[in-house]
Amino acid sequence: MKIGVFVCHCGSNIAGTVDVVQVAEAAKSMPEVAFAKDTMYACSEPGQQGIIDAIKEMGLDGAVVASCTPRMHGSTFMRTVARAGLNPYMFEMANIREHVSWIGKDKVANTRKAIDLVRMAVAKLAQNKPLYSQSFSINKRVMIIGGGVAGIQAALDCADGGLQVVLVEKTTTIGGKMAKLDKTFPTVDCSSCILGPRMVDVAQHPNITLHASAEVDEVFGYVGNYQVEVRKKATYVNWKTCTGCGACMEKCPSKKSKDPFNELIGTTTAINIPFPQAIPKRASIDRDSCIKFKTGKCGICAKVCPTKAIDYDQQDEMITEEVGAIIAATGFDLMDWHVYGQYGAGRYPDVITSLQYERMLSASGPTGGHIKRPSDKKEPKTIVFIQCVGSRDKSVGRPYCTGFCCMYTAKQAILTKDHIPDSESYVFYMDIRAPGKMYDEFTRRAMEEYGAKYIRGRVSMVYPQDGKMIVRGVDTLAGAQVEVEADLVVLAVGAEGAAGSAQLAEKLRISYDSYGFFMEGHPKLKPVETNTAGVYLAGCAQGPKDIPSSVAQGSAAAAKVLSLFSKDQLQSDPQVSKVDLKRCVGCMKCAITCPFGAIKETEVRGEIKAQVIETICQGCGICTSTCRQGAIQLQNFTDNQILAEVNALLSSETEEA
Amino acid sequence: MSLQDELKAQIVKRLPELDVVIGWGQGYDSLHRTPLFITSEADVDKLVFDPLCVHNLSTYLTRYGSAKRIGVVVKGCDSRSVVELLQEKLIHRDKVMVFGLPCEGVADLGKVKRALAAKDLDMGRVRAASFADGDLVVTVSGQEIRLPMAEVQADKCGRCRYHNAVIHDEFAGQPITEAAPDTYADVAAFEEQTLEERMEFWREQMERCVRCYACRNACPLCVCRDYCIGQSREPNWVSQRDGLEEKFFFQMIHATHLAGRCTECGECERACPVDIPLLLLKRKLGKEILELFDYRAGTDPDAKPPLLNFKVQEDTINERGW
Repeated sequence: MKIGVFVCHCGSNIAGTVDVVQVAEAAKSMPEVAFAKDTMYACSEPGQQGIIDAIKEMGLDGAVVASCTPRMHGSTFMRTVARAGLNPYMFEMANIREHVSWIGKDKVANTRKAIDLVRMAVAKLAQNKPLYSQSFSINKRVMIIGGGVAGIQAALDCADGGLQVVLVEKTTTIGGKMAKLDKTFPTVDCSSCILGPRMVDVAQHPNITLHASAEVDEVFGYVGNYQVEVRKKATYVNWKTCTGCGACMEKCPSKKSKDPFNELIGTTTAINIPFPQAIPKRASIDRDSCIKFKTGKCGICAKVCPTKAIDYDQQDEMITEEVGAIIAATGFDLMDWHVYGQYGAGRYPDVITSLQYERMLSASGPTGGHIKRPSDKKEPKTIVFIQCVGSRDKSVGRPYCTGFCCMYTAKQAILTKDHIPDSESYVFYMDIRAPGKMYDEFTRRAMEEYGAKYIRGRVSMVYPQDGKMIVRGVDTLAGAQVEVEADLVVLAVGAEGAAGSAQLAEKLRISYDSYGFFMEGHPKLKPVETNTAGVYLAGCAQGPKDIPSSVAQGSAAAAKVLSLFSKDQLQSDPQVSKVDLKRCVGCMKCAITCPFGAIKETEVRGEIKAQVIETICQGCGICTSTCRQGAIQLQNFTDNQILAEVNALLSSETEEA
Repeated sequence: MSLQDELKAQIVKRLPELDVVIGWGQGYDSLHRTPLFITSEADVDKLVFDPLCVHNLSTYLTRYGSAKRIGVVVKGCDSRSVVELLQEKLIHRDKVMVFGLPCEGVADLGKVKRALAAKDLDMGRVRAASFADGDLVVTVSGQEIRLPMAEVQADKCGRCRYHNAVIHDEFAGQPITEAAPDTYADVAAFEEQTLEERMEFWREQMERCVRCYACRNACPLCVCRDYCIGQSREPNWVSQRDGLEEKFFFQMIHATHLAGRCTECGECERACPVDIPLLLLKRKLGKEILELFDYRAGTDPDAKPPLLNFKVQEDTINERGW
């Protein structure tokens, strides 16, 4: 075999701390290497042409490129090798940038490690065999998980693009967090007035199937052909006949039920429709509050319902949706701010979250749009806003900036003045973060036109005294301690990934961080993709962001799905498992451990054997480590290829020793 | 009717449905039993069952292909291997007939040999062996020696939880009611040593290994046979070099391939010609599996073994804090 080795300078990225000329020189003496050369930018047009020319002139059988991570340019160089007439899998990449030059400054040690990595890549390539893709057809339906503003936008864009859309929403209505907001910054326009029509569009769009009160239970399959098991949670109301008339809500005797839509500052009835603009506008029963479920007696809603829609015996229903792509738009939840003992850890009724305050401001909220403090229902005159509660605070494990709190706090300060003209607002802040069109101007307005008093500093303590909440903090600009006697304290609580997002990520086989946010494919260049083909992200599920950004990301994810579906067939990755029939004993352990259901039982001359369904196999390799006799091998990562790499590495160790 | 006669009657009754029944017969001397392959009623007379029937006959079940119907005689410990093979679909329930037995414990011929040697007697000269009142009675060099079974019984029998076959189509004799708890006290005692001491112990033991593969061949769950990763050239994980590393590596592969599957029948250790305490290695993994997953292999044919079961969040290993 004739192997060519191309060592990239990457400008000074690699050459700065690795002697690339020496690496290329060392490669010349490696087994099977017929050609080795350093190159300034291997990925550039002349760099790639150099590889192609060398392959053609020297009659090379394969190429090793020592440069950056294969995540960056693996596919680039595979195409290069293919353009030179070789099979794209007759190529190996040695990552001497992320794994070498960027992590160490010792040029001698770096060069030695780079040579080792090249030696391993050469040893592996010597074992490589040409592999060929298969084509498979795709199911041009898309599932969107989460019916907040990002999910709604993605659903509408996909549906307008002609795709069949399945929208799955956990709660009984779409709208998400935005539906809870009173007004939106920086224009102070009514949130439900701008979101409401979009929600109606979802309900009326012929291409959208909406499953509310539903959750994703299991995800099977692969890009183009996912099977998603959706659990439609029992609402105890037949939604096919419920008209949303609200007669049941009027008569329900259990009026003190928890109201999650109103962030628990108000109460609702056990059978309820969360808010007037809910989509679908259907009633559902909260089992924990319903007298019928608790005592067996009552049943008033069933009596008053004009369409006889109440069904106390309703069970969860499982349905399977077949889709080709999935957009995860599961949004955020507020972090649990009760870790802040200095703000009362939830003991004081007049210390509330910004989202609770938002419900208070809303005309359809529990107070009818009047600001009343929870303890005595009096109108507060002095309101203190504390920012960065659970943001930029390592002490509670939240080092990141939620980003939108500065803006909504300014908005809430403005709205407070509108609601109670003789009120005074104080805002304790760390920094004002208002990058965005008309954003900084907006915070300025809160201060200059609406007279909100901004105090740069943290609050050390909040405690009740004589019917007031005493807020003690520091004004770092004045260098003085400050104390404010407040009637109401509003905490700008930071965001984290929505509850259950980690579990969903495991089902979708995508990465997530310790705050429950899903990891994008690349922080800059793949902001809506994930590392699982066919799964995309939109909105706060990927990280905290405001409404315009969420909407933009919803559209971006839709565009990605539409471009994926613009083809009728996809090419399968040939790096899949393959069964050696004479070794296989038919124990089917591989099938048990396969997370994709890619292995089926077959019979060869009366004996059971395993068989890989190539288009389903994702090449994860779990089967290969399960199979004790090595009968199932992952193509391009066979035991022998891995062993060749290990032996190459160890042989250099022995030489040095 | 004695247990042995009851077993013979059961085999005679069932033999017409079967291609072969595997039991124990008389070996080359009075202390040894050997596997017996019964294909006709005449063979049934050669069947023996006593505490010298040490072999785990389920080892042979995977060697017939799936076409033949095979009967197998099993003690409690052996029956767990059958369960494990069924669970792993290496044999099929409708092709296997299990003749289950109760067992109070088998003899360890190594212990017998040492006990006789202590009396200046040679096990090779034993001319007759029988059992009476819990003693092994042997006639050797003209003397009759009584060896209490408690002294020459295999270690595994002293901590046995499963005296009766856990799976069977026929069961001869009366089930034994008591069962030892097996607390893995032996492994725990070994773990008391420092890492260096344990390494030194295994280094000494493994030096003796001749890679004869007797341990592997005796193991009922080693089903790879000609494609054993320990001697395969493609992939070539372990070279044929005669070094401590290779011996150790082979034994570690053997042990880890049995993690969560090994029923601790001890055939590997019994078969070892150089007395490497291989069962200790297997029991260490057995203990880990029990502690991590609360699972004992070979007790339930329908169980899903923990290492073949993908759970995002294990019940006992809280990685995600869910």
